[in-house]
Amino acid sequence: MLLDYDRLGWLRAVLAAFTALVAAFLLLPVVFIILLSFGSSRWLAFPPTGWTLKWYQELLADPAWINAALTSAKIAAMAAILSVLVGLLASFSLVRGEFPGRQLLRGLLLTPMVLPVVVFAIAVYAFFLRIGLAGTTIGFVIAHTILALPFAIIPIATALEGFDKSIEDAAIVCGASPLQARLRITLPSIRIGIFSAAIFSFLASWDEVVVAIFMASPTLQTLPVKIWGSLRADLSPVVAAASSLLVGLTLCLMIVTALLRRRSSR
Amino acid sequence: MTRPFLSIRAVRKTFGAFVAVHDVTIDVPKGEFLTFLGPSGSGKSTTLYAIAGFQDPTSGDVLLEDKSLLAVPSHKRNIGMVFQRYTLFPHLSVAENVAFPLRVRRRPDGEVKRKVADMLALVRLEKFADRYPGALSGGQQQRVALARALAYDPPILLMDEPLSALDKKLRQEIQAEIRRIHRETGVTILYVTHDQEEALHLSDRIALFKEGRIEQIGTGEDLYLRPASEFVAGFIGNSNFLPAEHLETESGAATVRLADGSIVKGVKATHALSRGQTARLMVRPEAFRLTPVSGNASLAVEIVDTAFFGDRRRVVARTGSGDEIDVRPSSDAAEPAGADAAASRRIFFDPAQAFLFPA
Repeated sequence: MLLDYDRLGWLRAVLAAFTALVAAFLLLPVVFIILLSFGSSRWLAFPPTGWTLKWYQELLADPAWINAALTSAKIAAMAAILSVLVGLLASFSLVRGEFPGRQLLRGLLLTPMVLPVVVFAIAVYAFFLRIGLAGTTIGFVIAHTILALPFAIIPIATALEGFDKSIEDAAIVCGASPLQARLRITLPSIRIGIFSAAIFSFLASWDEVVVAIFMASPTLQTLPVKIWGSLRADLSPVVAAASSLLVGLTLCLMIVTALLRRRSSR
Repeated sequence: MTRPFLSIRAVRKTFGAFVAVHDVTIDVPKGEFLTFLGPSGSGKSTTLYAIAGFQDPTSGDVLLEDKSLLAVPSHKRNIGMVFQRYTLFPHLSVAENVAFPLRVRRRPDGEVKRKVADMLALVRLEKFADRYPGALSGGQQQRVALARALAYDPPILLMDEPLSALDKKLRQEIQAEIRRIHRETGVTILYVTHDQEEALHLSDRIALFKEGRIEQIGTGEDLYLRPASEFVAGFIGNSNFLPAEHLETESGAATVRLADGSIVKGVKATHALSRGQTARLMVRPEAFRLTPVSGNASLAVEIVDTAFFGDRRRVVARTGSGDEIDVRPSSDAAEPAGADAAASRRIFFDPAQAFLFPA
């Protein structure tokens, strides 16, 4: 191999240092935010002069924040369900189907992942304005479902590719109708992929801010939009507390996914 | 003659211009163990899939007790099948796997329980009922698959190279199990394999496939002792082919001239050959003897190598025209060991055990 880690010699130390630097660059801001959310200073000053939980108390006492969190959770949950359902159907046709343009369709379904979000947001906003979906929960969910779809299709299609179709055939010979075979045998066999798809789809919507800003109305605000708005209005540590909760939930879901994957691979 | 239990009639399957199965017709009596034997791509699996319903034949029909199966979807054909690959449901325990076909048939709980216990006893895996497929060996998985395929008492059991993923020793063990299960259940089995030993060991009859057609169908003995063609002779068992010139044939017994000029009378000829036509004379390795027997033909050879295998010897000999011959004489006292390498000598064979095929 061109780059064999074991043969790098002294370059290994350089590589390790570089990797540590990149990780620090990516993770330190998150760590700072979490530290600041417990700091007693009114002005997000670092290092904090003392420690307190009052920003969390303030956060939980403000119905605007609670509402935003609930809205976020509701939209993310609906987007996750929709994206898993559509992702399942799409994955079956992408993996099992034999039709011209299959690769093209795969590319098309995965474009939301590579398309600049702001371009997508403007396009969807303009379209939703015209058909009257702008500022509605349904519009919000549809837009987020489209964004989440690649994160559902990738794990489900991967799981389906790893599932031997002979097993489904065996279920059919055993007397299960093709639909029964898929529901009772294939879906449970690829459940880890489906679960990952649900988590990733949920997260894709949960911390999405660009499309959310376009879709939001004064009465319909998700947590990231509320954070964004508060940041511009006043730089209160409550924002740091809200961000920490956002990071916390994301982290929890990622850990659950990792644990499930590890358990199923054993 | 009574009507056949399963009747495969002129089944043909084409993929574009390629003819995978070429008007195959077989009648299978109830309770028979019939093997489709042949090299890969000979159409044996495709024929099996047509019976299972995974592939619709281009033309022809498959009848079970005089009723066509073709219009019946796979899941309603009530056929059992064991696949080449491991197809146990990974998220269900062994017992739940075997119960699955009964559950989709909505059989009552008590019956399901009883039947699962019976089936696991049949394949001797009672102790593994609560295990998951991931915790079983390949051989155990295929036995569970067999139990699952028999749980609903299907009239026919299809087996598509079920042992090809297993090692040789395990294969032989499970072959014995399959024989026993066939004997105990009396189920009609269609078995696909490319392994001639497996076919000989298991089957009542063997259908030997070549390029989408059945080359010969009959018992293992028929195929081994009375091969209908050079292909059959070469595929079943070991064979030596000697170049020969056909001189004349009278009521199935032919006279030929071998490469060294010697004339051999009374070899078996199943094909019509003209005078002077070049042909190939097939002699099984164990049909050769090292000691002369009256009425036997003989060949002048040079011994290349010799080895002792307990009940048999294996001698590699070379004729004057350079053809290598595999000789496996019995190693009993009647056959002396005096076959040193590089020695010139004659080896003997009974013409009645030699078969002449067109070259």
